[in-house]
Amino acid sequence: MIAEETLVNELKQKESQARAFEVLVNTYKERLYWHIRRIVLNHDDADDVLQNTFIKVYRNIEGFKGDSKLYSWMYRIATNESLTFLKQKSKKLGISDEELKTTMIENLQSDVYFEGSEIQLKLQQAMATLPDKQKLVFTMKYFQEMKYDEISEVLETSVGALKASYHLAVKKIETYLKAD
Amino acid sequence: MGKDKENNFKTPEGYFDSFHDRLMDKIKQQEGEMEDSIIPKSDGFTTPEGYFEHLPEKVLSKLDFKEPKVIQLKSYKKFYYSAAAIAAVFLLIFGLNWKTTTPVTFEDLASAEIDAYFENTELDLSSYELAEVVVIDELSIDDVLENQLEEDNILEYLDENVEDIEDLNLDYDDYE
Repeated sequence: MIAEETLVNELKQKESQARAFEVLVNTYKERLYWHIRRIVLNHDDADDVLQNTFIKVYRNIEGFKGDSKLYSWMYRIATNESLTFLKQKSKKLGISDEELKTTMIENLQSDVYFEGSEIQLKLQQAMATLPDKQKLVFTMKYFQEMKYDEISEVLETSVGALKASYHLAVKKIETYLKAD
Repeated sequence: MGKDKENNFKTPEGYFDSFHDRLMDKIKQQEGEMEDSIIPKSDGFTTPEGYFEHLPEKVLSKLDFKEPKVIQLKSYKKFYYSAAAIAAVFLLIFGLNWKTTTPVTFEDLASAEIDAYFENTELDLSSYELAEVVVIDELSIDDVLENQLEEDNILEYLDENVEDIEDLNLDYDDYE
């Protein structure tokens, strides 16, 4: 795999940009897709947001100073794009964020790209009760199996706070799943 | 028994020797608890077949770094003269009317388009940044309200929501 620093340099130079960008998309497409998909839930929406994320990365690579790692910078863009997308969606539909969450889960039942059983549907309902950041920490740790220091860089939160947040999320979800 | 040099705190014998093992046991135990968790390991999401293979192509086609294809112009040579003639006629017509055309002004933009722009564009401005560009002294309540406020409605609202009218700190001189 190409070193991150080399990749960033190639992305900033016109002659190597196209090839470097293809490498970047191929390296991160799946990880970013699943990160976005778990926020927006629907495949088509995830596809739109993912493409916008890569376009934003491309347009802003000049401004990437390397203070953080490239992947955490891209994850941050993906997170912001996903949350903004949901905000705009609820605004367009004229409903509250909470109502949108309920609609999104209802739509999952007829989604051809969701093969979850009843327990997985209930898991989504449980996750929808969590505050946004807690939900992010939970999915990044539980499903994406990211390390705490990686999540810490993306969400700009201390490892200690993340551990507490994750622990709370697990407890809340378990309680929800055990109920009735 | 181990004894701290500066304090009189003591630890059970062999506490530090076995610390690592106990810590590892604890971690394993917690991991075991997670494995026993009722939270499903997969969340049931799938993607269309071949989605990831075709994604780079889709993304790259939206960006402008693709080198433009070189088009052989020679075969179109015969059209040049007729194209030039048509262009000349258009130039003449528009050239004659040029001085009479008025430039597009800000007022020509339909307000619906401006509203739509603000509606769909994230301005990323904080309240403070907005306050810097919007001169508050020049604003009146009518600028932000679509319908006029009826005095009765205001009084009714105040009656229902304000416990003590003194809380409003009204400067009555302004209204006299």
